[in-house]
Amino acid sequence: MLIIRDLVKRYGNFTAVDHLNMHVQRGQIFGFIGPNGAGKTTTMKIIATLLAPTSGQVMVDGVELQKDPIKIREKIGYMPDFFGVYDNLKVMEYLDFYGSAYGIEYRQRRRIAEDLLELVDLRDKKDAYVDTLSRGMKQRLCLARCLIHNPELLILDEPASGMDPRARAEIKGILKELKRMGKTILISSHILAELSEICDCVGIIDRGRMVVQGSVDHIVRRMEGEAVVRLKVLRDVDRAVKLLKEQPMVTGIVQEEQFLEVTCKGNDEELWKLLRTLVNSEIPVISFNKAEGNLEHIFMEVTSDEEMVL
Amino acid sequence: MKKWYYNPVLASSLKTRMRGWRTAASVTAYLGVMLFIAYIFFKIYIEAQAINGISVNANQSVGLQVYLTLAIIQFALILLITPAQTAGVVSSEREMQTLDLLLCTKMSSAAIIMGKLLSSLGFILLLIIASIPLFSLVLLFGGIALEDIAILFLFYIVTAFGVGSIGVFYSTLFKRTVVSTVVTYVTIFFLGIVSVVLGTYMMAMHYSQPSQPADYYIPFILYINPGVGLADLLSTQAGGQYVLPYGIIGLLIGQVGNIPQGWFQQLPFWVKNIGVISIIATLLLVISTWSIRPNKRMGARIWKVRRSG
Ligand SMILES: Nc1ncnc2c1ncn2[C@@H]1O[C@H](COP(=O)(O)OP(=O)(O)O)[C@@H](O)[C@H]1O
Ligand SMILES: [Mg+2]
Repeated sequence: MLIIRDLVKRYGNFTAVDHLNMHVQRGQIFGFIGPNGAGKTTTMKIIATLLAPTSGQVMVDGVELQKDPIKIREKIGYMPDFFGVYDNLKVMEYLDFYGSAYGIEYRQRRRIAEDLLELVDLRDKKDAYVDTLSRGMKQRLCLARCLIHNPELLILDEPASGMDPRARAEIKGILKELKRMGKTILISSHILAELSEICDCVGIIDRGRMVVQGSVDHIVRRMEGEAVVRLKVLRDVDRAVKLLKEQPMVTGIVQEEQFLEVTCKGNDEELWKLLRTLVNSEIPVISFNKAEGNLEHIFMEVTSDEEMVL
Repeated sequence: MKKWYYNPVLASSLKTRMRGWRTAASVTAYLGVMLFIAYIFFKIYIEAQAINGISVNANQSVGLQVYLTLAIIQFALILLITPAQTAGVVSSEREMQTLDLLLCTKMSSAAIIMGKLLSSLGFILLLIIASIPLFSLVLLFGGIALEDIAILFLFYIVTAFGVGSIGVFYSTLFKRTVVSTVVTYVTIFFLGIVSVVLGTYMMAMHYSQPSQPADYYIPFILYINPGVGLADLLSTQAGGQYVLPYGIIGLLIGQVGNIPQGWFQQLPFWVKNIGVISIIATLLLVISTWSIRPNKRMGARIWKVRRSG
C-alpha cells in the first residue's frame, strides 16, 4: 500500500530524513515510532504531498508521488499533529466544507458526514461550533475530516499526544473499527505503550533513519537477546552498580534511588548467575524480576542510549 | 459533475460571512460614514457658494459636486478597507493551521487563491452594491448619466481587484497576517504617492525640454496608480471642467491636448489604467498560486481543470 524507498529530506545542511525505507501493507496499522525531532512529521508531510522530498521514492497504492500527487491526495487522509479547525464553522459545516473541497456532491457528502459523525461519536454535536468542542472531540472531528473522501490510507501524526487516557482509548477504538473497514493506517507516536497493542507492525525511526521495522512479535524476538532486569537493593547501591558494571553480560544500568534497571545479554541462565554474583557479594537484593520485552523498552533501547549509565 | 463556477472556499465563507449581525452592521456603518462625509462636503460647498454670492439654482452643478464627492469618498474607503480584508487570507489559514488541510484536498492552488480572493472581495462588492441607492440620488439632480455611474463602479471593482491581489500576494509571502497587512498598506500608500511624484516629475521634465515636444507622453508609472485613473475618469465625466480641482495630475493630463495616434493611445487614460492594473493583479495572483504549494514540482499541474465523476 505504501512503499518508501531511500527517502531523503534536507533542510539546508540538516538532514531530517535520511535514506528512509518503509513498507506498509494493505490493511495494516503501522506504528511509526520515534522521539521528538526524529523526522516523523517530515516523512508524513512528504507522503501527504505537502513537502517535496530531496530525493527518494514514495509509492501509494502503486501510484508514484512525484508523478501524480493529485491521485495521491485522493488516496490518503492526512491528520496533522495540530487540529486545524475554523472556529466560525459548525461541526457539520466543517465536514461539509472539506467534503466539497474534495469535490463530493452535496447530498452524498451530507450522508457521508452523518455516517462519520456517528463513527467518531459526535452525532449530537453536529450543530455545535467547532471551537466549543473539547480537545478530544476536536481530535475525533479531525479524524472524521480526513475520512471524508473515503481514503484508503490514513496518515495520522501523533493523534494520541496531549490526550487524556479516555480520549486515547476512544481514538484507539475508532482505529480498530477503521482497520475492520479495511483502511490502512500509518500512525506516529513518540510514546510506544499505547501503540504496541493496536499495531500490526512498527517502524522505529531515530534521527531520520529507520532503526528497526517489522511486526511487534518480530521486534520483540529480535530484541530478546537483551533482557531487562529490575532489581531493588536495600542499601549499598553504589557497590551494587560497581559490581554490575564489572559483569561482562551487563550492557546498561539505569539507577533510580534504590532501584536498578539492568540490561544484559544472554538467557535466563545468565540472569541467575548475575543474581548469584550479587548475593554472594553480600549485596542486599530484595527484589529481582525480569521485565517482559515490551515495545516501550525496546524503543528506549534502540533510540536513546544517553540515559544509560555505563 | 462539479460545476466550474462552484468554489468550496467561496461558498463556505459566504455562508459564514452572512451569518449573524456583523456583516449587516458593517454595511450600515459604511453607508453611514459615506453619507456623513458627503453631507459635510455638501454643506461646506453650499455655504461657500452662498458666501460668494453665487446662486445655487444650477441643479446640475450640485448633482455633479455630490457625485464627485461620493465617488472620491467611496474610492478612498475601498483603498482603506480592501487591504484589511485581503491581506490575511492565506496567512490566517497558515496561522489557524488549516492551509495544509486545504492543500491536501483536491482543490487546485488556483481555486484556493481565487476562492480566498473572491470571498474577501465579496464584502467590498457588497459595500459597493449597497452604495448604489446613494449614488442614484445624484441622478435626481441631473448632470450625471446612469452609464457614468456604471463605469465608475466598474472602475471600483478593478481597483478592489488590484488592491486585493496585492493583499493576497503578501499574505502568501509573509507567514504573519499582521506583517502582511502592514506591508500591504505601506505598499499602497507608497505606490499612490511615489507614482504620482515620480510620474509628474517625469512629465514635467519631458514637456520642459527646449524643443517643446508636443507628443502624447504619460510615464508608465502613472498607469499603475488607480488614483490617477479615477481623476481622469471623473474629469472626463465632468466634461473636463473639473480638471483643475484634481491637482497637478489633472493639469498635466489636461495639458496633453494633441491628437494621439494608434488604437492604444486613443483609448481614454482610465481604460488603459484599469487594463494595466488588471494585468499586474493577475500576475500577482499567478505568483501567489504558484507559491502556496511548497512542492514546486507539483505546481506544474495547478492549472489543470479537474472534475469529479
Ligand atoms: N522547516 C524546517 N526547517 C528546518 N528544519 C526543520 C523544519 N521542519 C523540521 N525541521 C527539523 O527536522 C527534524 C525532524 O522534524 P520532525 O519531522 O518534525 O520530527 P518529529 O515529527 O519526529 O518530531 C527536527 O530536528 C526539526 O528541527
Ligand atoms: Mg512531529
